[in-house]
Amino acid sequence: MKLTRLTFLAVMAALSVGTIASASPEKGLEIATEADNRDKGFGDSISQMTMVLRDRYGQSTERSIRNRTLEGSDEGDKSLVIFDTPGDVRGTAFLSHTKKADTDDQWLFLPALKRVKRIASSNKAGPFMGSEFSYEDIASQEVEKYTYNYLRDDSLNGMDCFVVEYDPVDPKSGYSTQIVWMDKAEYRLQKIEFYDRKKSLLKTLTYEGYNLHLDKYWRADRLLMINHQTGKETELLFADWELQTGLRERDFEQNALKRIR
Amino acid sequence: MLGYLTRVIPRRLAAFLVVAAHFLLPSAVQAGQINSTVSTRVDFYPDHADGTASEGRSVEVKVEGYHDFDESRLVGEFVGRMDAEDSGRRIIEARQAYFRTPLAGFDFFIGNRQEFWGKAESKNVVDVINQSDAAASQGKSAKLGAPSVSAERYFDFGDLQLWYISDFREKTFNDSDAHPSAGLPVTTVSFERDDGADADDFAARLSTFSGNWDFAASAFYGTARDPIVSTSSSGAALQHHYPLQRSIGLEAQFTGDATLLKWESLHGHQGSSDFIAGVTGVEYTLYGVFGRIWDLGLIGEIQHDDRPQSAADQFGVGGVRLTVNDVADSSLLLLVSADREADQTLVSLEATRRLNEWTSIELSGQFFNARTPSSSFGLLSDDDAVTLVLDVFF
Repeated sequence: MKLTRLTFLAVMAALSVGTIASASPEKGLEIATEADNRDKGFGDSISQMTMVLRDRYGQSTERSIRNRTLEGSDEGDKSLVIFDTPGDVRGTAFLSHTKKADTDDQWLFLPALKRVKRIASSNKAGPFMGSEFSYEDIASQEVEKYTYNYLRDDSLNGMDCFVVEYDPVDPKSGYSTQIVWMDKAEYRLQKIEFYDRKKSLLKTLTYEGYNLHLDKYWRADRLLMINHQTGKETELLFADWELQTGLRERDFEQNALKRIR
Repeated sequence: MLGYLTRVIPRRLAAFLVVAAHFLLPSAVQAGQINSTVSTRVDFYPDHADGTASEGRSVEVKVEGYHDFDESRLVGEFVGRMDAEDSGRRIIEARQAYFRTPLAGFDFFIGNRQEFWGKAESKNVVDVINQSDAAASQGKSAKLGAPSVSAERYFDFGDLQLWYISDFREKTFNDSDAHPSAGLPVTTVSFERDDGADADDFAARLSTFSGNWDFAASAFYGTARDPIVSTSSSGAALQHHYPLQRSIGLEAQFTGDATLLKWESLHGHQGSSDFIAGVTGVEYTLYGVFGRIWDLGLIGEIQHDDRPQSAADQFGVGGVRLTVNDVADSSLLLLVSADREADQTLVSLEATRRLNEWTSIELSGQFFNARTPSSSFGLLSDDDAVTLVLDVFF
């Protein structure tokens, strides 16, 4: 059950739940669950990603990354991230087994040593590859990892949207809360505002370029994260999406990291 | 037969096969890739003894490639290293040159392979498959390929590896006037096993994990990777003797929120003696230190090794790893090792930073100290080194 924000959250369509006039935790959970349900059955996915990091002066640097995700059933999704550039991390791979209620299991493959290293996954708030995305931003998003509160309806870029507050269950999260805009037509994430532990606005993530795959699954081709406190931003550009490619459990075991190229 | 096969996958042939397969076979049915790295290195030896090198310069070229044939794969990783003065550091090596194919539920490998076993940070006593390319002074990443036939299979209960290693590779050492070096040439190499370097080695490992715990157990029968070093009767040369080793390896790691607990140990028999070697320790990470997004890892490990190859029975190791989490992936590792009596100490420092998408730089240093001149570190007292490496990736 998933919603990999990396691969992601562009998802979900339909059950119209109707407009609700006041804040409601039940309604918030209902919306999040519906969004999750609409992405069920994608099986697995492969995509290419370019990460563009820009500092406050507009100087940019890029990373090329390959993503592979396997949909979980009883537990969360399994995801594999392989770095192609920059050269010093070429061949490095990051494997994550997401848990719905427990701490995720994570491994790192270091190609020079041919070493698979189990790593602690509590650094959720830490930056991923020096970007404005934290580890928890790129992790698979399970419904159980938040409590919810539907706030209001809103219009965003001409789309009718639900606005829902997502509160992380894990006290190690770097956020006090997230405010999520999700379009009513397809239940796709459109915008997220991240508030830090001091409840100040930290970052805003916007989603663009949604495409429909296999007539059911929405995936965004562009994610832009702006850090309001540092002036830095990170753009994720996705390409070559493939779903239901036949990836297996054994492709996401820790020793499979050694076979990856 | 298997030993013969691993011997006749000559390094140059394997290199040719990987390159030729990549360029000549129809791209519609195969996939592959070739990358290379050029590392330019300069060493400075501030305390060098008279008659030994005051600095070193070397260039290493590494070419890596693979080519897929349906479910099978041909892999090559070739290293060529030139050094201006130190012939011990010069090498042309097929660190990896193997063919992998599925067979009877196993992944089956034939050719030179590099493998890593272990959990600890400062030393890996259970890492017995490959010989160390010690002359490269590149730490754990510099290994010599193991000419081998091996098989791996993932079962519900864990990952099983079976190894047959057909040839022994001698450890590489720097010239006697280079660094680090005990200052004497190696003139004699001997083996306990009658077949010497042709003797076959066997190894197996089962690894698994459950919840926060990772476990592994391994067995090894073969020639010890580290030689027992002695001085010749004239005192002007060194003799290397490689004993037969029979051992069991055990590994465990607990992965907590910010705490890693590690254990690895090797229990066995070498020559005419039993031995125990082990490393245990903890790594604790402080996230977001100094009010920034920096992470600070605190490392503490205890090493025990009662084999004669070890510099001392026990070393304590303490250190810090600073990860800056910036765009350049800047990091700093400082480790201090001391034996139980604090007679021998080693301070090592390593700082790395990416310069751009295709270039990174590493500045490192190691500084030996010993109160007893005849101790292992005492013999390395003129081998303090400051090293600058520039890696360019293609």
